[in-house]
Amino acid sequence: MATSNAHATEGGTPPIVAHHFNNLRQQQSSVRFGMWLFLVTEVLFFAGVICAYTCYRILYPIEFEAASTALNPLIAGINSFLLLTSSFTMSLAIRAAYNGNQPGLKMWLAVTILLGTAFLGFKAREYYVDFEEGLIPSAKTAIVSDHDSHSVLDAHKTLSLFGQKLEHVLKEKKYYKEHPEKLKEVDFDRARLFFVFYYSMTGLHVVHMIVGIGLLVWQLVLANLGFFRPQERYVYVEVLGLYWHFVEVVWIFLLPLLYMAGHHHADHLHL
Amino acid sequence: MSTETRNINVMELDYTPQTAPPVRDVDGPPAVHYLNNDYGWLSWLLTVDHKRIGILYLVSVSIFFLFGGLAAGLVRINLLQPTGAILELDQYNKAFTAHGTIMLFLFLIPVVPGVLGNFFVPMMIGAKDMAFPKLNLASWYVYIFGAAFFVAVLLIGGLDTGWTFYPPYSSKYSHMNVLLAGLGVFITGFSSILTGLNIIATIHKMRAPGMTWGRMPLFVWAMYATSVIQILGTPVLAVTIVLLAVERLFGVGIFDPSLGGDPLLFQHLFWYYSHPAVYIMILPGMGVINEVITCFSRKNIFGYKAVAWSTIGIAVVGFLVWGHHMFLSGQGVYLGMVFSIITMLVAVPSAIKVFNWTATLYQGSISFQAPMLFVLGFIVLFTIGGLTGLFLGVMGTDIHLHDTYFIVAHFHFTMVGGMMFAWQAGLHFWWPKMTGRMYSDFWSRLAAVTMLVGFTLTFLPQFVAGYHGMPRRYPYYPPEFQMLNILSTAGASIQGIGYAMPLFYLTASLFFGRRAGANPWRATGLEWQTPSPPTMHNFEELPIVTHGPYEYSMPSRYALETGPETVHENGHTGKEGAKSGH
Amino acid sequence: MSAQKPTVFEHEHAGPPSVAASTTIFLALAGLTAMALLVGFLELGALKVWVSLAIALVQAAVVGVFSMDLKQSDKLTWLVVAASIFWTFLLFLFTLTDFLTRHYFAF
Repeated sequence: MATSNAHATEGGTPPIVAHHFNNLRQQQSSVRFGMWLFLVTEVLFFAGVICAYTCYRILYPIEFEAASTALNPLIAGINSFLLLTSSFTMSLAIRAAYNGNQPGLKMWLAVTILLGTAFLGFKAREYYVDFEEGLIPSAKTAIVSDHDSHSVLDAHKTLSLFGQKLEHVLKEKKYYKEHPEKLKEVDFDRARLFFVFYYSMTGLHVVHMIVGIGLLVWQLVLANLGFFRPQERYVYVEVLGLYWHFVEVVWIFLLPLLYMAGHHHADHLHL
Repeated sequence: MSTETRNINVMELDYTPQTAPPVRDVDGPPAVHYLNNDYGWLSWLLTVDHKRIGILYLVSVSIFFLFGGLAAGLVRINLLQPTGAILELDQYNKAFTAHGTIMLFLFLIPVVPGVLGNFFVPMMIGAKDMAFPKLNLASWYVYIFGAAFFVAVLLIGGLDTGWTFYPPYSSKYSHMNVLLAGLGVFITGFSSILTGLNIIATIHKMRAPGMTWGRMPLFVWAMYATSVIQILGTPVLAVTIVLLAVERLFGVGIFDPSLGGDPLLFQHLFWYYSHPAVYIMILPGMGVINEVITCFSRKNIFGYKAVAWSTIGIAVVGFLVWGHHMFLSGQGVYLGMVFSIITMLVAVPSAIKVFNWTATLYQGSISFQAPMLFVLGFIVLFTIGGLTGLFLGVMGTDIHLHDTYFIVAHFHFTMVGGMMFAWQAGLHFWWPKMTGRMYSDFWSRLAAVTMLVGFTLTFLPQFVAGYHGMPRRYPYYPPEFQMLNILSTAGASIQGIGYAMPLFYLTASLFFGRRAGANPWRATGLEWQTPSPPTMHNFEELPIVTHGPYEYSMPSRYALETGPETVHENGHTGKEGAKSGH
Repeated sequence: MSAQKPTVFEHEHAGPPSVAASTTIFLALAGLTAMALLVGFLELGALKVWVSLAIALVQAAVVGVFSMDLKQSDKLTWLVVAASIFWTFLLFLFTLTDFLTRHYFAF
């Protein structure tokens, strides 16, 4: 690659190699390395919450499996493919920038943004359905009258609102219809813990997606301003690609931990 | 053939600088340097020059140190009487929490990386700036915003959880600004991460030709190890604060036992960062010690490789010992034993360093200016602090000593007697380079002695109080401890005077101090081969490094032309092939 | 001075994956994702979590090595990745050990 050095090009635009670097290769190497270092911090960030999740999964396996069954695997699957495709289009964007293909770069960046936004859209739908089903962990409790109970003590028991909703949702699931004794083993209050992690982990992932989409929009604007016309600058698209792929890797782990832990059935696929 | 005589200055140096021959020796400040190349608020607030950013950190960190010190004053004055002299119970909780959080997060963690790391890591490796200058400035803004926000939260309402934020008190029962305080810590944590990232990238990618890892000053090794800890540990603290905030905000039980949670999980996640955090605090100080002790003993460091590898060793093994803060928490006994054994092991690299420093002093030509006084104080006080840590690392004795003043004394010996003194050593050592001025030798030595006396009087009685059972974080104590507390508070006042003194003589030096020249201490590092204060880009040409960092024992002799150029009849100036200035 | 090694940054970077390579990666990951989703609908008992994590690991490895170009990265980048994985492992190791062995008595 051309090793151009310092000095402003095209009157006023920033030079390709910044003043404190000796040559282009040093600069590109540093930029890539800097992004990898940042990804290290992100790995440790998610590792913390996944570690906490793992501890509770070990303590309450039945509750976690049950709570996972209440989630929506169809939307999770659609989102997985959306993210996967957006990673593909991101790679195409990087290749376009490397080749100096400006229209290609802009198109693939735009498609990646669209796919990412679609992911967020489906996520919003998923959260909405969860809210509708009442699966919001809170400490609110209510007194439940159990008319079938023969004991005066059991007739009125305190169950959390969340627990009631979760029980209601799980009763409809084919797995628990076929194995009602498994449903009885579940402590619905404890299952609240799963949902705290579900919202926290997917929420943190969503925040990272939003930041990623924001940065993609910014790079699209820069591309429109001709910033990437010098092909050496492809490295900035490449490092955003590294970040985007990392967000995909996080989702790759969230899927089995949160969604695929449950007993899903094809009968329950709905949007 | 006629030859005009040239002015050749033969430099006889009692040390070997890292580039040989050294760049032209410059006396007096250059006409344009980093402080005067641009004027105005914006030139400072929008600077990307690592040196100016170092000065920005210096000013801001000092302001927050003042806040932390005031909080300490409140605590110590309150402890003059067994039933609390000036503060109510709630206020006392707020005071010690403020002192702890400010001193740790806003002072000890950012001070050396932010000031000396930013200023000198690029210069020591022969670079023109850090790898990511704009990120460097952003990192300062994140720090100042987070820190100002945090102090505001402490002043408006306060925080009473202790710096350790343990749930379920912090998540469920405390009525104070836990969420906002957590946010402040979260934000300043980012600054720590970004600085660390920048330093690692700089050290890997920006070293001058010939600057191999084995020729880097040990201060750079220390900054590297510190930065590795910062990027690996701080994110876990960040996510822990997020989980705590979720618990507090939404009333759900992540760490709340009544809702199925486990408070020990918080402690594991918290200490995974917070133990390595103490190494973030001390390693830069140890790095400074290496620089000062070699210069003021006029001797090469004893065991360069041992010190370098022990630095890395502390950084790595420091991640494996966090459970020693949790011996009494209810964690598994066998796990506790594992943590205890590894804690014994992590003391080894620190001890190796102390032995190497002592061996460096041996048969050196020692002089006792202020930086060296601070260094000698560090070695004694840090050793005491480190040794007392061993009593705490052994589970059996920790049962008795946990949560007593023994712990308070232990960490103050390492953090204040260690790190604070190392910071003062670094500040006093590099002040002439940063400002171009020398400060008063007498007042600086007096300040060092005052700090030493004040510190010892403050914290030595606390060891005694601690092993006799005086608990920490209590506003009241049994009357038999009063004498020890009075001694401690008296010492604290002397310490306060000691810390105030540099404010005066260092500021005075800016106006009245004599001009320092490029290398007033006759030190060997690359940073001393630039003028004082340094120019914008540090080095006018790329330095080529040919020697190691502490060649004090090898006197050198170089011929440098300092006079006007002379041209022979045959047209040669004689300068062809020689590396010249400009 | 001649004993100095030249400063090496990276061997000549061959550029990001080609369109053909990216397409192959996409198809491979699509297949793996389908497998991962399928696992949720199967009753594998205790094995289920290990199978789904194994598939996730393979997916992550494909993304890392091919999409994120670790394949042609220098040793330093590999070291950085290895360090992040190792430190994550340390966090899990000690914390999970506490949860699993807390009930053991020493006496």
